[in-house]
Amino acid sequence: MEKLDGAIRYYPGCSLGSSAREMGDSFQELARMLGLEISPLEDWSCCGSSPAHSTNPNLATLLAARNLLLAQEQGVKDLMVMCPSCFVRLKQAEREILTSMEKAQELERVFHRKYRGGVRLRFFLEILEQIGLERVKEIMRNPFHGLKVALYYGCLLSRPDWITGFDVAPYERFIEDLVRIAGADPVRWPYSKHCCGASLAVTKPGTSDRLVDRIRHYALEAKAQCIVVFCSLCQMNLELRGKASSPLPVLYITELLALAAGSPNARKWLSKHLIDPLPLLREQMSLARSG
Amino acid sequence: MRVDSSFKEEVRKRSGQRFDACFQCLSCAGGCPVVEDMDYNPTQIVRLVEFGQRERVLASKAIWVCVGCHACVSQCPNRVNVPLLMDTLRQMALEQGVEVPEKRIVLFHRTFLDQVRRRGRIYELGLAARYKLASWTLFQDLIAGLKFLWKRKFKFLPEAVKGLSDIRTIWREGDGKA
Repeated sequence: MEKLDGAIRYYPGCSLGSSAREMGDSFQELARMLGLEISPLEDWSCCGSSPAHSTNPNLATLLAARNLLLAQEQGVKDLMVMCPSCFVRLKQAEREILTSMEKAQELERVFHRKYRGGVRLRFFLEILEQIGLERVKEIMRNPFHGLKVALYYGCLLSRPDWITGFDVAPYERFIEDLVRIAGADPVRWPYSKHCCGASLAVTKPGTSDRLVDRIRHYALEAKAQCIVVFCSLCQMNLELRGKASSPLPVLYITELLALAAGSPNARKWLSKHLIDPLPLLREQMSLARSG
Repeated sequence: MRVDSSFKEEVRKRSGQRFDACFQCLSCAGGCPVVEDMDYNPTQIVRLVEFGQRERVLASKAIWVCVGCHACVSQCPNRVNVPLLMDTLRQMALEQGVEVPEKRIVLFHRTFLDQVRRRGRIYELGLAARYKLASWTLFQDLIAGLKFLWKRKFKFLPEAVKGLSDIRTIWREGDGKA
């Protein structure tokens, strides 16, 4: 595997600095502790998300493609994408431009610039894998004490890569190992790849309640103490929705790792959760003291 | 029941996909997480397209309820790309001025894209406020909304991209029908 060095450029997406601050902040911490130099793609813009591809295919391609052009102009070789949905949109636009002459010409007509296809889009888990377990292990100064976690991949991460451009399947063992070196224990459960309702949580909350209840029910049944997620919309839905099941803290994978690395700034982002994870974390700390 | 034979061709052409590979095994319908909220399940939508049922398909709830989780196409033995079909059908429903039964979903998409059009990025607080006002759902999730504000979970001030001229060009050239 090639060595990862120098600065890493990333595409944050619209929620990372806002409703997904927990992920944004913990990711910054993790990168700092790993000694990585990270900076966002300059002047990035929204990928268009579901509203664009649901209603207007041209908007979907052009909005996502603007970012590919920016990355090309800024000499970015690997663009790390933080959000599974943004990732799929950027990947889709890339595929369209590179495989359809018509789309490529349309892009050139609109922006008067050509996309040559030299930017590698990479989901942030790919970069983590490249950094490697050994390196991550070195910074785990404050590991958990057998915290039982239900890894929730959600939909877009876990579909075949011929559809979305990224399939979590080959990374699952790595992610489980990652969680283990953080001192947590991934439980086996059947609902790690089922949809949370995505934007239906806003437009048809009852539907999302039903889906989240089912997910949470099975996580609780597997004796998980929290759910670990990779996507900001999953995170929000799993905290906000679901009526029939008891609440369960929902942490981002980056939070889990940054906490296990003993990040001194964790309180800043932990306070933003709608389901307070602090009682659970205190319980883990007292285990640490008694152990 | 009117059969509109041009419908199937139009859908095929626009989506770049053939849907006659479907042999109605119902895997898509069985795996769909939101099928309970649909008037026709995904298999039925594929069949109705094949049977040229333009009005029934374009006025259906199903095409809007689909969130594109891709469970269906992942399980399809013939790789019929249902989410792509749903995208195409939604776009056609809007273009053809069909009365959409899931008004809030369309409103959400429009409000979202309006944010992108103005700033090039989503300003979540503005998106939530505008959607809630326009959909008359101000009191739904009021407590959660207040918690969001209290915890400063939303970024308070909107930010815009520098290259707004790019965004304007995208809307002008991308035919802005959304």
